[in-house]
Parts: sequence; structure tokens; C-alpha cells
Amino acid sequence: MFFATPVYAAETAGHGAGHAPLFTPFGLDFLAVSSVVTTMWGLMIVISAASYLATRTLEKIPNNRLQNFMEFLLESVMGFLTQITGDEKRTKKYFPLLGSFFILILASNYSGVLPGAGHVPGLQAPTSTLSVTAAFAIVVFFSTHYYGVKEKGLAYFKHFIEPIPFLLPLNIMEEFVKPLSLSLRLYGNVFGEEMVVAGLFSLLPLFLPIPMMILGLLFGLIQAFVFTLLATLYISTATAGHH
Amino acid sequence: MSAEGLIGLAAAIAVSLATVFPGLSQGKTATAAMEAIARQPEAAGDIRTSLIISLAFMEALTIYGLLVAILLLGKL
Repeated sequence: MFFATPVYAAETAGHGAGHAPLFTPFGLDFLAVSSVVTTMWGLMIVISAASYLATRTLEKIPNNRLQNFMEFLLESVMGFLTQITGDEKRTKKYFPLLGSFFILILASNYSGVLPGAGHVPGLQAPTSTLSVTAAFAIVVFFSTHYYGVKEKGLAYFKHFIEPIPFLLPLNIMEEFVKPLSLSLRLYGNVFGEEMVVAGLFSLLPLFLPIPMMILGLLFGLIQAFVFTLLATLYISTATAGHH
Repeated sequence: MSAEGLIGLAAAIAVSLATVFPGLSQGKTATAAMEAIARQPEAAGDIRTSLIISLAFMEALTIYGLLVAILLLGKL
């Protein structure tokens, strides 16, 4: 099949396959399940199974290879996040949320490089749709304010008028721009990589998309890392101690 | 000056401008990072982490331009 232009090929490959509903349970239209949703279910099952298998025989010096790998992964993430918050106890307090973000976003970005992603019905990287990345960003938005109020009480809202009360509209706008930029950055990276791979694939299917896919691996890791880092930064500035 | 022509032109300008300016800024950032590593090689790990994070921020601006171009081409 030869498409007229690479863009047309990319559009039909990327857009139609992922968002068209696969099946509608109970016939209800608003519960339509698309490929993105089934991939997310698959990721949830894989990560839960890996976590369960790694902690079945929990020992202080792990002789279980999976537990060793998980400890290495989490220790390195914890090390990076402690550089931002500056305090290991605080990192541990919010680590369930932030570590889960990192693992889930990393797995989602890499599921787009699996063979058949985007073409096989049922496999499409979850972070290649704005809905999923916006959901992550909204969780970060609500959790920063929730943790801020939990830590400092209602005096947390005083930081909006902190240096000069004149800056109040700017501060409020910044609070809403933060989740917008978080979601757009992650979505743009994954969706753009997928689009470029589809376009290159329609030009020369054999070896041309490979450099872009390798770049996609690198950027998937970096974007997961940057998302978690920014979430940590927002939460730690919201719960900062006394000056 | 048909509508489709203008849309195509807009997509091309969006992507090219979005590539040039973040490219310049990333070059300046990388220069500063390399000079810092050359001056103090023990801090190379910290500097490398900060460099990657800064590059990711500037990359995001390029991605916004690419997104706009893709959306425009979808209307073509």
C-alpha cells in the first residue's frame, strides 16, 4: 500500500487506530474502550505482577534478581529526588506518588516502541493521547495544593500574595499554566515521535525509522524523568518549611 | 493565496521558528555546561544531570511548535 503523502499515512496510522473504540461494554457509548485503555490495563497488570513477584520473599540482602533490580531502580530515583527536596525524610513521605509517576510514565513511553504499537488493534502507548497526560498533570495539580494545605493549614494560600499583592493574577495564572505545560510536554514528545516514525515508515519501511526510534527511547526516559522532577519540585515548594 | 496554501505556509513557519531559537539556547546551555565541567571535573555528574534537565525544558518549546504544525496539517 502506497499512500499519497507521508502526512496522510501518519494521520491514518497514528490517529485512527488509537482512538477508535475497540468495544463498548454493556453497549454504553461513553464507556467505549479504545486501544489506549487496553494498553493501560496491560501495563497495570505487568507492573503489579512484577511488584508482587519482587516482594514475595523480602530479604534484607536480596538474593532475588527482580527484587535487586527494583531496589536499584527505586534507590536511583530516590537519589535524584532528594537532590531537589533536599531532605530524605520528605522524599520518602511523597515517594509513593512520585515513584509511581516515574515507573508508569516510563513504561507507557516504552510501550510505544514495542513491535506493532499503533498498528495492532489493542496496543497504543497511553501517553500518546492528551487525555492520559492531562490526567497525570491534574493529579499533580490537586496533590500539590492538597499537600500544601495538609502541611501548612490554610495559611498555605498566603503564598499567592507573598512578595507583593499586585502579583496575585500572575501567581494564579502560573498555577494553571503548570499542569498545562506538564501535560503538553509529555504528550508532544511521545505523539511527535510516533508521528515522525509513521511518516518515515511510509517513506521507506525498512531501516529508516530506526534512528528515530532510538531517539524515542532516549527521550522517553528523559521525559519521564523531567515529569517526576517537576512534580517533586512543585510539591516540595508547596510544603516548604519555615524560611 | 488560497486557504490551503496559507495553512501549509503557517505550518512550515511554525516548525522552523520553533527549531531555530531553542536550538540557539540549547547551544549556549551546552557551552556553559562544558566549560563548567572543564573547570571542575569532580562535579561532572551534577552538571550533567542539570544539563539534561535544562535541555528537556528547551526541547519542550520545540515540541509545542511541532504540535501546532501537526494540528495545522491535519486541517489541510
